[in-house]
Amino acid sequence: MNPMVEGTEAVIAGETLELFAARAVFRRSTRTLLVADPHFGKAAAFRAAGVFVPEATTAATLARLDALLEATSARRLIFLGDFLHAKEGRHPGTLQTLSQWRLRHSAVEMILVRGNHDECAGDPPEAMRIVCVDGPVLEPPFAYAHRPREIRDAYVLAGHLHPGVVLLGAGRQRERLACFWFGSRVGVLPAFGEFTGLADVAPAPGDGVWVVADDQVVDVSG
Amino acid sequence: MTKRSVTAVRDRWFKSRGWKPFDFQREVWSAYLSGESGLIHAATGTGKTLAAWWGPVVEWMTEQGSPSPSRALSIAAKLGASKPVTVTSSDSKRKARGRSAAPPLRVLWITPLRALAADTLEALLAPARDLELPWTIESRTGDTSSAARARQSRRLPTALVTTPESLSLLLTHDNAVELFGDLRAVIVDEWHELIGTKRGVQVELALARIRKLRPEARTWGLSATIGNLGQARDALLGCGAGAPMGRIVRGVEPKTVVVDALLPETIDRFPWAGHLGTQLLPKVIAAIEEGQSAIVFTNTRSQTEIWYQAILAERPDWAGSIALHHGSLERKKREWVEDQLRIGGLRCVVATSSLDLGVDFAPVDRVLQVGSPKAIARLLQRAGRSGHRPGAISRVTCVPTNALELVEIAAARDGINAGAMESRFPVERPLDVLAQHLVTVALGGGFESADLLAEVRCTHAYHGLTDAEWDWALRFVSSGGEALRAYPEYARLVVEDGRYVVRARDVARRHRLAIGTIVSDAQISVSYLHGGSLGTMEEGFIARLRAGDRFFFAGKSLEFVRVRDMKAWVRRAPNGRGAIPRWMGSRLPLSGELADKLRHRLGEAANGVFGGEEMRALEPIFEVQQEWSAIPGPGEILIERLKTREGWHLYFYPFEGRLVHEGLAALFAYRLSRLRPISFTMSSNDYGLELLSAVEPPLDEALRAGLFSPERLLEDVPASLNATEMARRQFREIARVAGLVFPGFPRSGKTARQLQASSGLFFDVFQRHDPGNLLITQAHREVLERQLERSRLGVALQRLSDSRVVLTNPPRPTPLAFGLLVDRTREKVSSETLSSRVRRMQLILERAAG
Repeated sequence: MNPMVEGTEAVIAGETLELFAARAVFRRSTRTLLVADPHFGKAAAFRAAGVFVPEATTAATLARLDALLEATSARRLIFLGDFLHAKEGRHPGTLQTLSQWRLRHSAVEMILVRGNHDECAGDPPEAMRIVCVDGPVLEPPFAYAHRPREIRDAYVLAGHLHPGVVLLGAGRQRERLACFWFGSRVGVLPAFGEFTGLADVAPAPGDGVWVVADDQVVDVSG
Repeated sequence: MTKRSVTAVRDRWFKSRGWKPFDFQREVWSAYLSGESGLIHAATGTGKTLAAWWGPVVEWMTEQGSPSPSRALSIAAKLGASKPVTVTSSDSKRKARGRSAAPPLRVLWITPLRALAADTLEALLAPARDLELPWTIESRTGDTSSAARARQSRRLPTALVTTPESLSLLLTHDNAVELFGDLRAVIVDEWHELIGTKRGVQVELALARIRKLRPEARTWGLSATIGNLGQARDALLGCGAGAPMGRIVRGVEPKTVVVDALLPETIDRFPWAGHLGTQLLPKVIAAIEEGQSAIVFTNTRSQTEIWYQAILAERPDWAGSIALHHGSLERKKREWVEDQLRIGGLRCVVATSSLDLGVDFAPVDRVLQVGSPKAIARLLQRAGRSGHRPGAISRVTCVPTNALELVEIAAARDGINAGAMESRFPVERPLDVLAQHLVTVALGGGFESADLLAEVRCTHAYHGLTDAEWDWALRFVSSGGEALRAYPEYARLVVEDGRYVVRARDVARRHRLAIGTIVSDAQISVSYLHGGSLGTMEEGFIARLRAGDRFFFAGKSLEFVRVRDMKAWVRRAPNGRGAIPRWMGSRLPLSGELADKLRHRLGEAANGVFGGEEMRALEPIFEVQQEWSAIPGPGEILIERLKTREGWHLYFYPFEGRLVHEGLAALFAYRLSRLRPISFTMSSNDYGLELLSAVEPPLDEALRAGLFSPERLLEDVPASLNATEMARRQFREIARVAGLVFPGFPRSGKTARQLQASSGLFFDVFQRHDPGNLLITQAHREVLERQLERSRLGVALQRLSDSRVVLTNPPRPTPLAFGLLVDRTREKVSSETLSSRVRRMQLILERAAG
């Protein structure tokens, strides 16, 4: 089995969630798969501006999503914002690839919680049947949003930050890696898109931090 | 005018200045007038400029008819006068009328730094004014106003002083053919500075373009004396059937050079490593006081700030007569210092290599070099700044900042006495620069593939360019990278009637804004809250500052207020106790030639021979080294093994310079890690390298298996480099030059931010999804060849494998080890999986919240 889609368990807000090195979170009790910041069409947007980025990024991102859907048999897929990167990325080729991918998973309910990039880029085409909402999606005890912020009576799972942390080791080793970051009220998922970068975050003592180390998810909580 | 009367005028001009033309200058003039090209090499300030300038001037005068008798009289009178007549502002009307009457571009003068353009302009204007030439002579650099630039783009002045970037920008205009229609000469100044860099390649390509447009133009290069003059000439003049032969002309002989050093009273308290120490400050001040004027050269900008503050603190009475000069200072400040130096208005200037280049600085009384010069030629050049008359002695006083630098100083003197000059090797086939040039030429009138390929192959850099590489580059800038895919939305270059052109306006704008191959960290401009700009600093340093933090910059004690966009605001802080900014700029490595002399001195020390003051001062240190470990003798390689709380340290001391050591460190770590799962971090300096691991490394086993063996070098070195991040870091520069990463339009909005991506991200994406991408290949190749000096690596390894291994287990870090122990920047190599390493690592929690 592909280790990228072998879940690592984490107990958050009293529930057992599965974290994947493929950069997603799965809630088995409701068969909901959560993915943040895919930024589809980012490569196309760059190309439109005369910067060369190979097209294969979209296919690679979707391949990972395929593997996750298959491994989890998820019934619902929720995108935590920034589905499309920019208006310029609404390239016919990219949109067609996305539509075809959607057809392969027609049985899965798909929801997009809109993020800042979605506001400029626009919603995915209607034919893709992805329900787009602005506000958080509530699934007690969780609330799924794009930007991390506290919401009353819920534990928020969000994206937007593209979180990364720095680890130090013996012999002066140093690594900067993407991570899942779970605070006391809010958790942040790593960015899912193939062509996305990292921004450093600052976990507090007691926070849960799981880093993505190639094909493994490793608990490095302080 | 007849040739005879023209040369008479020229000689009279020299006489009016109190000069007599040197033989080498006459040789250049005569060669130029016969249609030859060439390379002139000599130390700074020895008449190269006039050697290059007078050829075209004489040429023009010869082409004119006789001047009117009254005019001839007025010129002669001026030349006979005791002082040359300067053009006053009342002549500006005449100049304005003269502009359109001035001859079209005849001389193109390329200079590496815009700071030098003003100097050069002055030097060229002097004879032109005296002879009342109806020439317009102007500069065109990043500092030129847009109004002036627009005017120039329509009609260039008779002589134009410009930088490689501005020249490339000129070539993006589609009227290039008309602009260069009457060009007679291209002069490339400080060619030794450009060669060996990608800007040098940019110049090579621009010259090839100009030669194509105007084959009659001659090319002359002005250079310092380097070890590979023939190659420097070939790179300048190009190769292939149409390339001019070109002669090499040597300027005046260098003066006698004396190198001495300031020595610490006792070596005991003197640090073994590090470069910030100001222990010798009292002696430095005494040396400055010996004369009326001094330049104190340091190796980094941070060091200039530190030493400036230290000198000022010690001698507050010198405030106002000492100054600071480095590349991040505001241009006006730098110009002020340069002017003061010229008129002898400053007692002391603390400077970096920013003062190495220059047309005409009055010599100073004393030159000091803080820290090892790292190269023989550099020390020689700086020594040349001292002494008032030609033929006088040049003297430089070296100031070590740690004990071991004394060996380098002794070795540098040996090098000067032996006449060992470093070479500057031209860059071979950088595809990122080619990609940039393709867009430039497409903008500037367009091109046909076969024609441009032939033109590009005439340069030294690309004479070995393969058809596959050309095709790849062309595809990269037009339809996209991969052979089977076309990306229609990615339209940089399009083909019209068989010609490649640029049609999209924002592609053109973006390209023009981003032209240039110099790469540095994003520069933040630093200004006072209430007006007044101080200079620029690197983003990395500013990013770590918080409101209220104090630091020194531009010689001032400042308090950080805030940063917004690319500007940082500061106010004066009353009494400074603050941080000194650190700049990323390259740490100069020891040159191969100097390393050679260094090893020789060490060999002597190993045999108990300490020749000269510097080595004798070091005897106590060498005793310690001998007692705790050993001193490597000739034919020996020293390895030290040490265990501390941090882990297991292995020290190797090849004394080949930091770049070669980085390659050896990666190679040794790689070879060791093949024997068992283990992770290393490595650091290197000019003396040796350190491998650090959490568990004991299998050294004995590795030595038996051939750790130093040159066999399998071709496979192992690239493999070891793939294991480090070197290629990824080298890719930063490539991504910038090739136009992947863009510094940003001045008024960036959301759209611009959406197009920001780090070069590291591009590297990862290319590695994963476009492995055939030749820019990635180039990154690997550049690391191997330029960073690690691959041929030196092979030679060094051979020497190691022929050496006897001396393995010691010192009780604590030795003098030689110390510098490596404290080094911050570390590479890593590991044969363990990332996840198993990560499981043993700790999360940093105490970082300040954003």
